[in-house]
Amino acid sequence: MNTAPTSTNPPLVCWNCHERTLGTHFCSGCGKLQQIPQSFDYFALFEMPKKLWIEMDGLEKKFLQLSWKLHPDNFVNATEMERELSLKRSSELNDAYRTLRDPVGRVEYLLGIEGERKEGEKKQQAPPELLEEVFELNESLDELREARESGGDLTALRESLEAARNSFQEKLTEVDSQLQSAAREWDIALAGDAATRKKIMARLNELLNRRSYIRNLVTNVQKELV
Amino acid sequence: MGRIVGIDLGTTNSLVAFADSQTGQPKCIPGPYGDTLCPSVVSLDPDGSIIVGEPARRRLLTQPERTIYSVKRLMGRGPSDIQSELKLFPFRIDPSSKNVIRVVLGDRIFTPPEISAFILRELKNWAEAFFGEAVDRAVITVPAYFNDAQRQATKDGGKIAGLEVLRLVNEPTAAALAYGLHEKQRGRVAVYDLGGGTFDISVLKLISTSDGDIYQVLSTNGDTHLGGDDIDNLLQAFVHDLILQQDEIDFSPHGELAQELRKTLISLKHQLSKAETATLRFPLPNGSVYTREFTRGEFEALIRPIVDRTIVPLKQALADAQLRPADVEEVVLVGGTTRTPLVRRTVQEFFDRKPHTELNPDEVVALGAAVQANILDRGVNNMLLLDVTPLSLGIETYGGAVAKIIPRNSTIPASAQELYTTGVDNQTGIDIHVLQGERELAKDCRSLARFTLKVPPAPAGLQRIEVRFLIDANGILQVAAKNLRSGEGHSIEVQPSYGINDSEIERMLEESIEYAEQDFAERQLIEARTESESILTATAKALVNPQVAGLSAGENTKIAASVAALQEAAAGSDYKLIRKRIDELNQATEHLAELLMNSAVSTALEGRKLAEV
Repeated sequence: MNTAPTSTNPPLVCWNCHERTLGTHFCSGCGKLQQIPQSFDYFALFEMPKKLWIEMDGLEKKFLQLSWKLHPDNFVNATEMERELSLKRSSELNDAYRTLRDPVGRVEYLLGIEGERKEGEKKQQAPPELLEEVFELNESLDELREARESGGDLTALRESLEAARNSFQEKLTEVDSQLQSAAREWDIALAGDAATRKKIMARLNELLNRRSYIRNLVTNVQKELV
Repeated sequence: MGRIVGIDLGTTNSLVAFADSQTGQPKCIPGPYGDTLCPSVVSLDPDGSIIVGEPARRRLLTQPERTIYSVKRLMGRGPSDIQSELKLFPFRIDPSSKNVIRVVLGDRIFTPPEISAFILRELKNWAEAFFGEAVDRAVITVPAYFNDAQRQATKDGGKIAGLEVLRLVNEPTAAALAYGLHEKQRGRVAVYDLGGGTFDISVLKLISTSDGDIYQVLSTNGDTHLGGDDIDNLLQAFVHDLILQQDEIDFSPHGELAQELRKTLISLKHQLSKAETATLRFPLPNGSVYTREFTRGEFEALIRPIVDRTIVPLKQALADAQLRPADVEEVVLVGGTTRTPLVRRTVQEFFDRKPHTELNPDEVVALGAAVQANILDRGVNNMLLLDVTPLSLGIETYGGAVAKIIPRNSTIPASAQELYTTGVDNQTGIDIHVLQGERELAKDCRSLARFTLKVPPAPAGLQRIEVRFLIDANGILQVAAKNLRSGEGHSIEVQPSYGINDSEIERMLEESIEYAEQDFAERQLIEARTESESILTATAKALVNPQVAGLSAGENTKIAASVAALQEAAAGSDYKLIRKRIDELNQATEHLAELLMNSAVSTALEGRKLAEV
């Protein structure tokens, strides 16, 4: 399932020498920097399979190698076309590295390119199993704000909010570990059938939405507590 | 193509440096006074010429209304941004200023990039005089925490000065480059850069690879309005109050007395970096001298709140790099304000590590800029710099909120695509507001630009436009749009919120050539001096010729007087006066020249000059 770029992509024609080129980044004929092929995704750029477990040292090494080649510093005295290409290519490289380095960003990206990232119609709606706790939390938040305005005692309210925050923080950790195990399932299913992969992606998508919801909640409580 | 230099365009001082073509070692270029530091002060002479550097700094005392310092604080800012600064700085802002501040100097009005351009042009002249060759390209350093508008303003300044700005490099990163070359450091390095007006903290990872050394910035933070200036302002306000209590003398912060006090206090500050006590003696208009002894402890207690303001950015930068203070292997101090013992102690205590101060903190940034200039000129061969954007890039969404599309500390160049579509039938435009900053509401972030995507009328949702936001290697935003329906590139006109447009820059460039009169004057001076040297030599030679006997006593006296007058003029810097004295000596020696000619050739040649004989 490795997307070996040169074999799976249609032959490309160099913008400079107009010859067919096999090079991924530079024309195999004239050596000029090339556009990134349309079919390239971040995984292909790093010559990696679409696995969610990524070995960080290897990713960094590849990133640094490509940076040497693509960075605009190399093209200061080159033609306008090459300068623009380098700017585009190196920004893509940096975007790719930033995305793949982040375990959550990586999952979001994968679902995005697979067309399975669905943020849900009602992003702000609480997952059903959390409804009760979220309701209580919002009440406590309101009370805290009121107490603050009327100059009342905040100690008890703060304590209960801190407890709630900690509880949601734990849930966040839980979601993260669920994401991790779903990611492992994905890596195993990569060689398997499409239906299984689709099912795992739906699960990953649901976890991402849940994670984003809880994270927002924690951030909001944190803001009130500061 | 001319030479390339690295320039540190500082709040207080600016420097220009170059890398040796053989060894690659960077070196600062001295100016006409032998010093590598050019005070970032610009003065408009009543005769209309522009004076930069040390002579301009002296005019702070004599002509404060025609002289400006610390203009870097105004770069890329609007009038509303600087209200609090105006109380402390003698800047006179033109009331018609809208998005870009316009500063009044004497009877003229300049934008901050124009004033910076005068400084850059001066440094360009220093370098040209040093090389004996034209300089047309530069790497200029900026505080790492500068936003898009401040960077753009710096780049504009370079353009106005007639320089192609190949790259803006962040000051702490430049310092790391210079130190890396110097010490061959590896591992994680924190650069603490407290200058005259700005504070930066950058955390870098220095990596050796088979291709060469990589300087990767992990995170950066700072405060573009925190530096030695703030210490000076604080001292000034403090001492001003003391004088007020004792002598009931009040002076406006804009006047000459205030400038005199400031100068005295800066020297007091420097003394207290070396000695435990220092005495302030300040002559007052009523004839008395205000005298007071300061101890370092007292001084430190006063400035501690300013030094402590660097701690929050420091912690944030480490947190963003996911490091603890102990994880940092080397700490480097940059900027003149890090000479202050309290600053050194604070940094040392924070990291529990003795910071590096081997390289001159005033020069190290310029040296790093020269290293980067050399890399760009000759191509990456053994060193690569990967820097980051200091602030998150966002776009305004419904309800005035900001959606972050490129997070802070992303390696640059960095980009993000956003898809826009129409919400109602026959909608012809989509408004986009780009911001920079970490806050959640648009009103709390820095507005970078607003623009309207023009779309052909169609049913709602049919037109889809992809906008690509790209932060280039200078940390400057570029925007491009593509209509996905037609597949065509989409032209957009981005109106920067705080900046000057290209036609204004063109006009300023033309005007600056007018001011290049000053460069002209310098060249004239050099030529006049050279000419005076050759005529003086020729006269001295002629005066030992036996033909001298043919001169009258009056002629002899006149020649001697003219020689003395020319020697005196040539020691000064007024090229017009030197020219006048040359003409006078030529006249005085006309008969002598004739006598010499007659002895050599039989024909008398009237009006010949001695040097030509």
